Amino acid sequence: MTMQGEAPAGAGNPAPQQAPARRSIGAVLAAPVGLLAHLLDGPMRFWQRLAGRGGMIAFFLLPNMAVFALFVIVPLGINVAYSLSGGTQLFLPSRSFVGPENFARLLTCDNHLAPATCRDDLFWIAVWNTVRFVALQVVVLVAVAMTTALILNRSIRARGFWRAVFFFPVLLSPVVVGLIWKWIFQRQGLLNWLMVEMGLDPVNWLTDRTWAYVFSVGISVWAHAGFYALILLAGLQAIPRHIYEAAEMDRTSPARAFRRITLPLLWPNLLVVIVLALIRAVQVFDEVYVLTGGGPGTSTMYLTQYIYETGFASTLRNPGVAAAASLMMGGVLVVLTLAQIALTRWRDRQ
Amino acid sequence: MGQIRLQGIRKSFGALEVLKGIDLDIAEGEFVVFVGPSGCGKSTLLRQISGLDQPNAGRIHIDGRDVTDVGAADRGLAMVFQSYALYPHMTVRDNLAFGLQNNRMPKAEIASRIAEAARMLEIGHLMQRRPGQLSGGQRQRVAIGRAVVRDPTAFLLDEPLSNLDAELRVSMRAELAALHARLKATMIYVTHDQIEAMTLADRIVVLRDGEIEQVATPMELFNRPANLFVAGFIGAPRMNLIDAAEAASLAPGGLPRGAAWVGVRPQNLRLDDAGAELKVDLVEALGTETVLHGQLASGTRLIVAQAGQVDAARGDTLRVAAEPGKLHFFDDAGRRVEP
Ligand SMILES: Nc1ncnc2c1ncn2[C@@H]1O[C@H](COP(=O)(O)OP(=O)(O)O)[C@@H](O)[C@H]1O
Ligand SMILES: [Mg+2]
Repeated sequence: MTMQGEAPAGAGNPAPQQAPARRSIGAVLAAPVGLLAHLLDGPMRFWQRLAGRGGMIAFFLLPNMAVFALFVIVPLGINVAYSLSGGTQLFLPSRSFVGPENFARLLTCDNHLAPATCRDDLFWIAVWNTVRFVALQVVVLVAVAMTTALILNRSIRARGFWRAVFFFPVLLSPVVVGLIWKWIFQRQGLLNWLMVEMGLDPVNWLTDRTWAYVFSVGISVWAHAGFYALILLAGLQAIPRHIYEAAEMDRTSPARAFRRITLPLLWPNLLVVIVLALIRAVQVFDEVYVLTGGGPGTSTMYLTQYIYETGFASTLRNPGVAAAASLMMGGVLVVLTLAQIALTRWRDRQ
Repeated sequence: MGQIRLQGIRKSFGALEVLKGIDLDIAEGEFVVFVGPSGCGKSTLLRQISGLDQPNAGRIHIDGRDVTDVGAADRGLAMVFQSYALYPHMTVRDNLAFGLQNNRMPKAEIASRIAEAARMLEIGHLMQRRPGQLSGGQRQRVAIGRAVVRDPTAFLLDEPLSNLDAELRVSMRAELAALHARLKATMIYVTHDQIEAMTLADRIVVLRDGEIEQVATPMELFNRPANLFVAGFIGAPRMNLIDAAEAASLAPGGLPRGAAWVGVRPQNLRLDDAGAELKVDLVEALGTETVLHGQLASGTRLIVAQAGQVDAARGDTLRVAAEPGKLHFFDDAGRRVEP
């Protein structure tokens, strides 16, 4: 971006030659602001002369930075402090310093693939549950989002309506998502009622390990696919129609057009979607927690739930371990986020 | 190969009827240009021929075969798009090869066709580049090359030169003419530029509001326009149209029966002391030609084009007359009336 010259001279001052005969409501409301700007003009200029151009930039960024620091940087620092402290006390100054003990506790295993051999078996159960969840959820999510986008990109009847339908779940609060599906899947839920009506035996969906896992993946796909479908749809619509027509003239089969034209041209968007979906899948919590509570047993307990329960909910809460686990998860997310930023830059250069 | 017949082609988009019954025979190897004002349906007609779009009524035959219900892929035609529509993520070579690979052509054959087209269009040095790394003119060549390698029954070109600058347009025009002479394939070319139409076409199809106004060779079109629309559309500056009652001052002599309008091209008016008075209000001196705009005593506007340079200025009054035998006559419905 280059600077587009100077701002119009006296931007805060009324411009008499443009003053409309009847003042609009907006102009009336803006008048006090204009007055304020006018009053501030002198001090600001003086301040800018003192601080210089770079100083002004810092000055205007300060409020935002202060909020960012207060709610992100400071808590992060406190989190690090907690991760190095032990005991069940919640108040930081009354906690003892234990060094990397919490990390050691989390990371010590005879065999990392077998949680039972770990000092903190729950953590590794949660880790592997999360890995399993992410692996399936991201694949299914991207496939569903892609299919939805491809269908919505066709000239189907009532396209706007269908777009809204697929996007709607994204607008729901995760707790609402979890509750809706709980009403459907629970023992006396909608699904079992239907099955009984159809003469089938009811199934206890949420106390079955496999079903609980499948449904935890399923509802999170349902809740998020619309969002990614929209990103992909935007990417699809950015591909000029003429390219497909040229391909048609070139006798390209639809499958080959998808593979050789749609996929490569959509690839930058697709990559961004995959990484975004990965980042969000690693953090899975609310809707699944509401649906299954992590059960049956620990079969749908994912990392965020482990952190939450270890830090706040269990009777023997251990904020130090929870902080250490959240820092490690944060590390993974930072890597993924950096990848996502790099990919977005790369896409925008394309 | 490459004979195309259109019968009663109609096309509507919703309530908007864009093509209102087009009948046309295109001969093998012919260079046919569809010309007409923007929005008259040229591109739409070309798309019906290509198969990218289906007409609501009418039949399309290619080499005697009814292809109305055949998809674009199987009509054996190649299209050059106004936007070029190159595959942006593929190299020039892959752009050219893509369609051939679809036909499962042997690698060696693909390579030799690409080499041939590259030589013809002088794009050999661009083979490893992507479209984004090419200039407009180079993209245009690649787009044409993509059609050429296919060795199609006919080429369909939709305003292929309209995105080029004026100078490049002139040189590409000449190259297209040379390409046609060399390939001897049927070409259907859409443009709104009458100069392109006149210089390239074997035959010109003048379209207006989804109907054919006239189909003729460029000279026939120029010399014997079938109606007022064609008369006004072909030739620059535009043909002067004068009420028949007023024509006597410019061209003594009788009018054919039924003539309501007299047309005379600016080039067919000359300075003549016995002619009508013209009050000049604009002089365009082009060096090789001088174009005088002015008004007759009656207020009728007139454009006079004189070869070479004329010593005239705004405000001058000149006397002009039409060259005998160079008048066009039209009845009150706008149709040509033979003298
Ligand atoms: N796909 C379409 N849907 C609706 N209207 C269209 C479509 N394609 C063309 N038209 C309309 O048909 C008319 C002719 O368009 P076109 O054939 O592109 O004109 P041109 O002679 O400039 O190439 C225009 O009024 C245009 O708006
Ligand atoms: Mg057009």
